[in-house]
Amino acid sequence: MIKLKNVSLVFQGGSVAISNLTTTVQEGEFVYLVGHSGSGKSSFLKLLYKEYIATKGEIEVANIDVSKLPKWKIPLLRRKIGIVTQEPQLLENRNTFENIAFALEVMGALPEEIEAKTNTLLDLVELNDSAYKYPGQLSGGQQTRVSIARALANNPVVLLCDEPTGNLDPDLSIQIVSLLEKINRAGTTVVMATHDSTIVNRRKKRVIELKDGKITRDEQDGSYIVR
Amino acid sequence: MSKFSYVLKNTLLNMRRTPLLVFATIIAVLVSSFLVFTTLSARSIVENNTIRWQNGVHVVVFLDDRVTTTAHKQLEESLESYPEVRTVDYFSKLEAEEEFKVLFKDQPELLAEVDYEILPSSLRINLNDPSDYTLIIERLDGNPAVKEIRSSGEAIERLLSLTDTLVISASAFALLIGFAAFILIINTLRIAAFSKKKEIRIMRLVGASSTYIRLPFIFEAVIESLIGTSIAVGFGWAVIEYSKNSVVAESIFDITISDDYLIFLTLSLLMFSLIFGLFASFVGIRKALND
Repeated sequence: MIKLKNVSLVFQGGSVAISNLTTTVQEGEFVYLVGHSGSGKSSFLKLLYKEYIATKGEIEVANIDVSKLPKWKIPLLRRKIGIVTQEPQLLENRNTFENIAFALEVMGALPEEIEAKTNTLLDLVELNDSAYKYPGQLSGGQQTRVSIARALANNPVVLLCDEPTGNLDPDLSIQIVSLLEKINRAGTTVVMATHDSTIVNRRKKRVIELKDGKITRDEQDGSYIVR
Repeated sequence: MSKFSYVLKNTLLNMRRTPLLVFATIIAVLVSSFLVFTTLSARSIVENNTIRWQNGVHVVVFLDDRVTTTAHKQLEESLESYPEVRTVDYFSKLEAEEEFKVLFKDQPELLAEVDYEILPSSLRINLNDPSDYTLIIERLDGNPAVKEIRSSGEAIERLLSLTDTLVISASAFALLIGFAAFILIINTLRIAAFSKKKEIRIMRLVGASSTYIRLPFIFEAVIESLIGTSIAVGFGWAVIEYSKNSVVAESIFDITISDDYLIFLTLSLLMFSLIFGLFASFVGIRKALND
């Protein structure tokens, strides 16, 4: 599902974000990407949806050669990927339903399709009761769930989550991870960047640890090691 | 919701966010287009009026009746030999009388009082190039058979020159206002794009194409441009219709301009404003959308 071969990312000015990184994520896997701030977790994810362009190496996501993908084809890649950021990035003037529907709207879906799909997603993230609430009326956890629902609107095969629980308390964080596990069980590959040891150690999953843009550990049933 | 209705809805939302800028843009496009429309129409009207002169009599040589008709004939022959001259028609005193009667048929008092003997015979000259009328005047200078020479060439040339100056001045002014409209469109789009920064970021994340993100901005620029030009053209047509029945039309000019030319001018301006809107939107959102 995801392949990186000898990938490097060097920013203008010479700072190295990713250094000669090679790894593979299989279809249906749930992978935690751990490491301290600045270790390269966000850069790793941003390379996958071509927010950043690799300085060298080969990247393949959902059978798309990301490294050779021209700029105008990036939307095609992103339609196969769901992206959840630390800040939920919700539109303040739209309610929960409209925020989720927005992803379908901009893809040109028909009204009846938007209605049905959005209701299904509201069910999945358990926000039926808050469908007509605006972001300001939602808790941090609820806002993250809206953001996850929106990322799932176009049936992505991969869900990339960049510290989605970064601003949440432990209980809410566990609720979010449980939701992501549920999505993963339904077949979606999930890659989640986090530095929350409670979450990672809660259930044994694959853990890839990054330091200075390099993989320092890759364990199938790993845990978060505080260094 | 279909893609088109989404784009249209967002175009109108963008325009509602900055109503004053949108209004200013439309006014600037309107003034610029109106100037172009009216000056080009005015030029066409002046040209239509001079066509009759171009194809008609360019120089009239009134003959002195005190000299012999042989001298008149010699003058006619020498005129015909000039390379600049296409035709020379002799107009007798009797023909002059007939013409006078036709021209002033509505003024019987005048016709009753005129002594037709004073109407001279004349030679009416049509030139290959109407601007050569000065050469003829020079050549006939001092000829004893000539009583007086008249040509409307100088006045018409001055009129055409004045029209050209007006067209150039108005075009320069229109260009200046057009540039202001261009800047206004760019600013309007940048403000709209800035206010939708978050929305655009989300659209990118979920995989909306660049074209789809751009379309509401492109539509906005094109709509503003087309509205301004359409109103300007509408005003232009109204001014021409009004002028046809005005005092100016009765006293100086025949305000005739073909519908074909006006339709051509209208379509050209609308097409230009469409391209103008597209180009302004391209420049305006290129940086704002960080493409």
